[in-house]
Amino acid sequence: MLYKLSASQKVLYYALLVLMAVVILFPIYYMILISLKLPVDIYRTPSLLPVNATLQNYVELFTKQGYLVNIRNSLVVAGSATIISVLISCMAAFSLVRLKYRYKSWIGRLILFAYLTPTALLFIPLSVIIARLNLGNTLQGLIFVYLTFSAPLSTWLMMGYFRGIPADLEEQAMVDGATRWQAFLRILLPLSAPGLVAVSVFTFTGAWNELLLALIFTTSKDVRTVPVALQYLITGDVFRWGLIMAGSVAAAVPVMILYYLAQRFVVEGLAAGAVKG
Amino acid sequence: MAEQATPVTQRQKSNLLNLDLSQRASLLGYVLVAPVVICLLILVVYPFFYAIWISFTNRTVGGVGDFIGLGNYLYLFKLPSFQATIQNTIVMVVVVQSLKLIFGLGIALLLNQPIKARQFWRGLVLLPWAMPAFVAFITWKLLYASEGGAFNMILIQVADIRLDFLSTKALAMPSVILATFWRGFPFWVISILAALQNVSPELYEAAAIDGANAWQRFQHVTLPSILHVILVVLLLSTIWTTNSFENVWLMTQGGPFDATMTFPVLAYYGLQSLQIARLLPSR
Repeated sequence: MLYKLSASQKVLYYALLVLMAVVILFPIYYMILISLKLPVDIYRTPSLLPVNATLQNYVELFTKQGYLVNIRNSLVVAGSATIISVLISCMAAFSLVRLKYRYKSWIGRLILFAYLTPTALLFIPLSVIIARLNLGNTLQGLIFVYLTFSAPLSTWLMMGYFRGIPADLEEQAMVDGATRWQAFLRILLPLSAPGLVAVSVFTFTGAWNELLLALIFTTSKDVRTVPVALQYLITGDVFRWGLIMAGSVAAAVPVMILYYLAQRFVVEGLAAGAVKG
Repeated sequence: MAEQATPVTQRQKSNLLNLDLSQRASLLGYVLVAPVVICLLILVVYPFFYAIWISFTNRTVGGVGDFIGLGNYLYLFKLPSFQATIQNTIVMVVVVQSLKLIFGLGIALLLNQPIKARQFWRGLVLLPWAMPAFVAFITWKLLYASEGGAFNMILIQVADIRLDFLSTKALAMPSVILATFWRGFPFWVISILAALQNVSPELYEAAAIDGANAWQRFQHVTLPSILHVILVVLLLSTIWTTNSFENVWLMTQGGPFDATMTFPVLAYYGLQSLQIARLLPSR
């Protein structure tokens, strides 16, 4: 829309934008603020401004609370789940979008069905399966279980992306003697790089943020992921808010940076998947 | 003669099963789709039907269980917790989705105006969604806290009152809804904004020439062009909200007195009590 705003419109619009900014930023500001305070300052001199700001909470988190172990576990689980699920979902999406065979539409429906099935319905039978496979309370078990949501979502998103790329280039390569598989590896995959970034970021953050399954499938302290470690801090008898908020900031910063770097790809990828899928 | 024969044997070697081109393409298709299909059969389809089967038996962990028909369902429907859960889930989803639709559409329309630094504002809107859900809801629990929480700090200074947002029956659900809305609305804004930017300017010009006012332009040009995106977003977002565990678990754990109990949290409690039942005999 190429018209100009009148003065009164300008005042109204920018006032609304500033109001929105306050609503969005205030909780984030408060999270960082409290992470820099000791209990004495939180309860005795409550204030919306920093008082005696200190990094004491972060030091305790990483030295006494063993938060580094939780971060390492989360990195291993989210990283492995992402690699496995992007790998298998690329192959599946290529197969479903470009190749012709029977039962294809049934497989497409299966993937949608899998994505729509609530986790709350699945976790009781899943815990039986994981126990039978002897994967209970292990990071491997968690990686495997995370495929329930990451595999269908990444396949669905990759299908949307592949559909947006014309098949002509691959057909050309096949006329020149390449096999189907080579055309996929050398033509389609490089062209889908933005989609791959989007799907990887989406899968990684999805696994990094997952709480319910991690809570069910890990019990001992050494295999707890970041969200599980934080929820144990918050369901205890005493809320050590400074420490909890330091943990929250440390958990949020890496994925928020990742998200921002990949923002453009993620939004485009989601839109492509959502509109065409 | 031998030289002429070579290409034929090579072709036969590369075509192991003597399949023609389309058969090979479909074989490749099955091979490539197999890993995802096998994963989903083990992790989703089998557990799904298994869950339905268990729900018709009186099985407990360690026991075999007999078929008891609809017994569990009758038991469940008589459970006050369960009735509360149905009601809460419906209220939560309907209210949260309505708020997201109104504010998502409103903010997207605002960001589609010729404002300065649109990329900056768009990035700002994304912040709550880029934040991990568990971090967002833990932070909101702190905001609501009666000791050390920001809202009560402000309330005491302004009106000298203190509200127990998460432990008062009347306030718990609205508080959980507000936090859930805060974390979820950016997805709506960004998706609707992307759709708005795809609407061709000529349509608006044509409508303006025909003398359509702002509301008519919205009704007849904007809305039809973004409706399909709104429907997809509504579907996805409703699934996410219905299945959301973190918001309730981290802020209220379903309380006070089931006032915020939803299906995922109820199911989690169910599993926890099963684990306790399994541990008891061994002690």
